[in-house]
Amino acid sequence: MMIERSPDWEEGFAERLEQHNWDSWTLYNMCYEIEKANLITEFTGLQSPKYLPNLTPLPHQLDVAQTVIEKMNGKAILADEVGLGKTIEAGLILKEYLIRGLVKKALILSPASLINQWAEELNNKFYIPATPYKKRCSLEHIDIVIMSMDTAKKSPHRELIYDQDYDMIIIDEAHKLKNHKTKIYEFVQSLKKKFCLLLTATPIQNDVFELFYLISLLKPGHLGNFDVFQRAFSASKHNFENDEFLKELVNQVMVRNRRQDTGIEWTNRCVQNILVHFTKEEREVYEMFPQLRDVSSVFSETFSMITLQKEMCSSKEACSLTLENMSQNCSDEDSIQFVKEMMEKLMSLEINAKAEKAYEIISKANDKVIIFTEYRASQIYLQWFLHTKGIKSVLFNGKFSKSKRDYMKRLFQEQAQVLIATEAGGEGINLQFCHHVINYDLPWNPMKLEQRIGRVHRLGQEHDVQIYNLVIVDTIEQNILDLLQTKIDVFEKAVGELDEILALKKSM
Amino acid sequence: MFPKQVHRYLKDFFQETDCQVIEEGEQYLTVQLTIDMDKRIMNRPFYWKYIESTNGVPSPSQLTLISDQNNLKDDVKGEVIHFGSYRLNQLFEVTKELGAYVQMFERLSIYDDPSILTPYLGVNYKVSYFSDKTKETLYSLGINLMTGKIIEDFHDIVTQIDLVSDVPQKAIPLQYIIKPVRAINRLDAVIQHTIQLDDHTWIEEAKKRWKRDQRVLEYFYQDTEEKPDCYEIEAKALEERYNAKVKMEIINGGLFYLK
Repeated sequence: MMIERSPDWEEGFAERLEQHNWDSWTLYNMCYEIEKANLITEFTGLQSPKYLPNLTPLPHQLDVAQTVIEKMNGKAILADEVGLGKTIEAGLILKEYLIRGLVKKALILSPASLINQWAEELNNKFYIPATPYKKRCSLEHIDIVIMSMDTAKKSPHRELIYDQDYDMIIIDEAHKLKNHKTKIYEFVQSLKKKFCLLLTATPIQNDVFELFYLISLLKPGHLGNFDVFQRAFSASKHNFENDEFLKELVNQVMVRNRRQDTGIEWTNRCVQNILVHFTKEEREVYEMFPQLRDVSSVFSETFSMITLQKEMCSSKEACSLTLENMSQNCSDEDSIQFVKEMMEKLMSLEINAKAEKAYEIISKANDKVIIFTEYRASQIYLQWFLHTKGIKSVLFNGKFSKSKRDYMKRLFQEQAQVLIATEAGGEGINLQFCHHVINYDLPWNPMKLEQRIGRVHRLGQEHDVQIYNLVIVDTIEQNILDLLQTKIDVFEKAVGELDEILALKKSM
Repeated sequence: MFPKQVHRYLKDFFQETDCQVIEEGEQYLTVQLTIDMDKRIMNRPFYWKYIESTNGVPSPSQLTLISDQNNLKDDVKGEVIHFGSYRLNQLFEVTKELGAYVQMFERLSIYDDPSILTPYLGVNYKVSYFSDKTKETLYSLGINLMTGKIIEDFHDIVTQIDLVSDVPQKAIPLQYIIKPVRAINRLDAVIQHTIQLDDHTWIEEAKKRWKRDQRVLEYFYQDTEEKPDCYEIEAKALEERYNAKVKMEIINGGLFYLK
């Protein structure tokens, strides 16, 4: 057995013997008492809570920290549902390793918009001196650094990071690593991960391979290599025979708390899928889209067709932008003429059935409401539309700076009835004071819905949360709804149950 | 450490380091730092460089430390301090630096006959076990520098004795026979022996975890003929994580002349 022994003390002692300058007996005793108070007497158990008198972690958060350290050996996916405090869990784990002297340097990667929030939480709640990365500061001198993924993956930062010897890597919103062909995935793969936490409420967004790649990043081989995994778990992409076996393996590297397991009283979630019928005029325009394919090859791609149809279900404003852009590639007279007619019909639409429905819900709620839409054009249209009805609203999107977010949040809280957010607004804002959410259009990915709902259905929410998913009958939106359900099934088979998102189980 | 203990600690610390307590309540105290303490804890090297090079009048800081924010009644502004806070950790570090070496004598009453005092070397050790988990143990050993006899729990014993830092009038301290440096080696050997005898299933368990993770890693790359860099990086990470290490360090120690 190798025993490391530092000779520093003896050298000092020899000097004192010659110079006879001795220390105070009181300080000598205090020094021993401090060592005793700070002593880590057990391999197991958490030391960190006693150093954090101003933080009262919830029981499930302490459980997670202990499980990750003692059973998963410090490498794990923290996959609690949105709003259960994954940052607190990560902070507890990092603090524990810092106290135990197992981590000196740590790198935290997060979306740019959340960097300051991380710095604040770690410094104020955990007394961990974490510093946001600035281009000029040298990584050698900051032990705990927070950086955006976008910065980290680029030269010269990536090389600078590789030169450091990090003991711990924490990655927030880790679902951004689902694609193994991206630069960021490659970057993280080549990082040394002595201890590593991946934080995401949504380890599967579309298919089970995302989970495979995420786990392979954390612990290569845990789910076998790609071929083995594919053979075992994807006879068909959405069905596995050995669900239980997979779940067992996944649970060895992933902790996931659901709201209902936390022992905290959660308010209910009431999800309704609201079916909306197009007006006769809207329907006419919608039916014209398939004809576009025959008119010009510009529209022959399935993908562009789907985009147009999806936008049509949102607003003519969203749709007309894309249509206009695409039509510029048309060359022959016939198709130009057809698109022109279509544009005219589109622009002459006076009633947006879905917006009317949204208005009806808002009036009935008679309370704060958040509307999520996928399109900027619809966002602006809705603000105008609500304005004509005498309803005050504020806009929100993820590109806002921290101070602008806070300002908009305050405006919403104090002055406006409605907040209209685009997709990007889904992460990093907490709006517990509101409990009505309208999903004006549906995203392809159920986890985006979960993220949206998570903005209001989180700790601190006092009311039951009302979710309204607007779906236009006999359009692509109904297909999306089915697909979302399939994806939710995949998630539940591999990862575990999900809180209600779609209200399909009841209605079907 | 509870707020009261922290408060007590602060008071003792500043008193012992000659920093005058200017104002004190039950939940806070304000101290005038000495120049030395200012240099140690206020983190302003440029100021001191400037003062020294210009022969300016030094003005060391005053510091108000609030040990119990929740029960604070007076209107006091200052740094809130508690177990785990930066400032307290910093003061702990200074305490360790300033409380590392002592020479103490047993107090003799003036009515006593002259007595011989025997020299001892006392050393407080911290032994740390590291793998992906850690555990620490304190050992306090003393050694009679005349006979070589070893005494366990030395610190607990000497703290029961009335000690002074100057040679008492009627004391006749003996000159040690065993040189302190040699004595340290003997104590080291005792500690090492104690470590050998300790339960080390933790090493076996860490090895098992390491082996298991290594096997998983091999499996992932089994069909790859030339293993990529990430394989090496991951293997190295496993080694750093699970490789068992034992560290021993001396916290403090010194010479004790006892009856």
